[in-house]
Amino acid sequence: MKRRSFVKALAAAPAVPALLAQQPSATDELPNLTMSPADGSTDALPRFFTPSQFAALRKVSVTIMPPADGGPGALEAKTPEFLDFLIAESPSERQQLYRAGLDALNTQANKRFGKAFADLETTQADELLAPLREPWTYDPPADPLACFLVEAKADVRTATMNSREYIAFRGGAGGRRGFGGVYWLPLD
Amino acid sequence: MPAKDYDVLIIGSGASGGMSAYTLTKKGLNCLMLDAGPLVDFSRARVNKAPYELPYRGFGKPGRFPHIFQATEYTANLWVDDKEVPYTHDPKTPYNWVRVRMIGGKSLFWARMSFRLSDYEFKAKDHDGFGENWPINHAELAPYYSRVEPIFRVAGRKEGLPQLPDGEFEEDSSPWSEAMSRFIATAKQRDIAVTKMRRSLGRGQFASSFNLLLPDAMETGNLTIVPNAVVRDITVDKNTGLVNGANFLDRHSKREMHAKARVVVVGASCLESTRILLNSKIANSSGALGHYLHDQTYITQGVVAIDKGIPGEGGVRRGFGGGAAYIPRFVNLKSGNEQDFIRGFAYDFGLGGTPDAKYVPGYGADMEKTMNEYRGKAASVTIMGEVLARYENCVSIDKNVVDAYGIPVLRIDCKYGDNEQKMAKYAMNTFEELCRATGMETLAKHDRPFPPGYSIHELGTCRMGDDPKKSVLNKWNQSHDIKNLFVVDGSSFVNGGYQNPTMTILSLSMRASEYLAEQLRTANL
Repeated sequence: MKRRSFVKALAAAPAVPALLAQQPSATDELPNLTMSPADGSTDALPRFFTPSQFAALRKVSVTIMPPADGGPGALEAKTPEFLDFLIAESPSERQQLYRAGLDALNTQANKRFGKAFADLETTQADELLAPLREPWTYDPPADPLACFLVEAKADVRTATMNSREYIAFRGGAGGRRGFGGVYWLPLD
Repeated sequence: MPAKDYDVLIIGSGASGGMSAYTLTKKGLNCLMLDAGPLVDFSRARVNKAPYELPYRGFGKPGRFPHIFQATEYTANLWVDDKEVPYTHDPKTPYNWVRVRMIGGKSLFWARMSFRLSDYEFKAKDHDGFGENWPINHAELAPYYSRVEPIFRVAGRKEGLPQLPDGEFEEDSSPWSEAMSRFIATAKQRDIAVTKMRRSLGRGQFASSFNLLLPDAMETGNLTIVPNAVVRDITVDKNTGLVNGANFLDRHSKREMHAKARVVVVGASCLESTRILLNSKIANSSGALGHYLHDQTYITQGVVAIDKGIPGEGGVRRGFGGGAAYIPRFVNLKSGNEQDFIRGFAYDFGLGGTPDAKYVPGYGADMEKTMNEYRGKAASVTIMGEVLARYENCVSIDKNVVDAYGIPVLRIDCKYGDNEQKMAKYAMNTFEELCRATGMETLAKHDRPFPPGYSIHELGTCRMGDDPKKSVLNKWNQSHDIKNLFVVDGSSFVNGGYQNPTMTILSLSMRASEYLAEQLRTANL
């Protein structure tokens, strides 16, 4: 391109690209629209655990964190559905820990009570969750089932207590304030 | 138009670089500061969010920060990502290198614990025979500590302890709780001194280079700051052998630039400073550059105990429980070898907490009931132990790996030894005994430190000393080899004691910068 026509082309280019032709000015009053997190109004599609593993996870979750004080427990907080997602995204060791742990619960439930873990009576489930009544140790327990249960206890509690349902109830009950925190946006 | 001539190029805007700029600009010197990170607009960089509004419900993206245990989903975007600026290590000996690249550096996020080193650290070799003494003592650094403390507004209480020198404090005259008074009485029977925490108040509990140092330096009109400037190496004048500036890349465009000055001050954080020097292939006639890496062992929740003697459930009567306190080193003071380990450790502990659910056996309604009984009755401690500065704990350049800017990365070889492990065990058992003697019951205990680096107190690798054959810097933080090169951050430490290092870093930087200014004034540089 000759220099003259290049300069001409430059002059013809609009100063502002068309898509940005409209921008609210800083002084305009703009609406404040409230959004809902997807968890709050839609259903997750479990994709990681098998149906029998997922059923056992639901039972583990509600046993660790049942509804309390009229508020939501792990099931109301959709903790099993969330953990299905979290574990699917996790490193393979953690995936293996969960799968093996849930399978072990079903195997032991079948061996001792002739049914799946999800179908056990509370006292029967309590027997299989005995490792959770042991004192804390720095090293995770050597037994894979015990190791899974320790991890699941922490994960179920965190996932439930961080849920929309739990925070809405506890925050609404007026007892505790300050849920949430300061989130850092990506740096420029 | 050629670039302006600057008196001093300062690499890094954190505690050490910020203090250097604060000091030099007030002496009338024209300074150019480069920092690898952006200037953060705090009002635009952060928003309030509930955990369920985050993609991973507060858990964080699994596996994103394998080395940064401090990272949460809330803070994920503020750390330097290993994928952008990697480093390497033996898989069997992990190192947690925790980095921040922003104007203000890590001083934007530190815990503000503000201590002096004592002559137990400065003259440690005289006391127990290990390692080297610093080329300075507490009396020489004290005037600088005394000027730094008021800038940072350090709250504390004068205790008169030789192992933790007092400073210019804003007096903390808050009373101890009843529960803490009982604990203190137990400790006193064992000759263990309990002190108030010493912490920088800054302005509005924010004490950083960003708000306490850089604004004053800018005010002089003598400071130019270039953000997003990732330094590759320091340049040397072939005729004089002196340094004359640095090559850097723009963080966004990767455009290559050169900054020129009469003197170079490096304060890029301990390991980044050493990485820059190693990549520049300068200042290492001693062979000590990169060696003697140390920090402090950190054991959080080393002991968790419950005071079952405290009456009530679901909370504790006001004024009865609670309170935080500090126990400075109390071992190996009379002689350096009282124990089967040398040096010492500190406790940062609190009463009146509620234990984490993982320490409370059980689940479901039964566990919640126990948790409620324990509420406000738990003691827990963080144990912080001195790490010996050993030659074999070191960093070097890994020639096979470069970062996103094409700059060769660090390889870190560091592990704790017997001394650290024996000290940790002793520290755990002693704190448990203190709790028991105060009437508490142990819920959990352990003596396993986090991997090296976790404390974010990395020190050494560019140490100072009188002997140019054994040290990189002289006692003024000035290179033995190149007289117009100064390194003013924690890399200059000979040993770090058990104390959080920031006050010492700030004081060393102020002292070195005043010396530098005087040398420039008298034309000795």
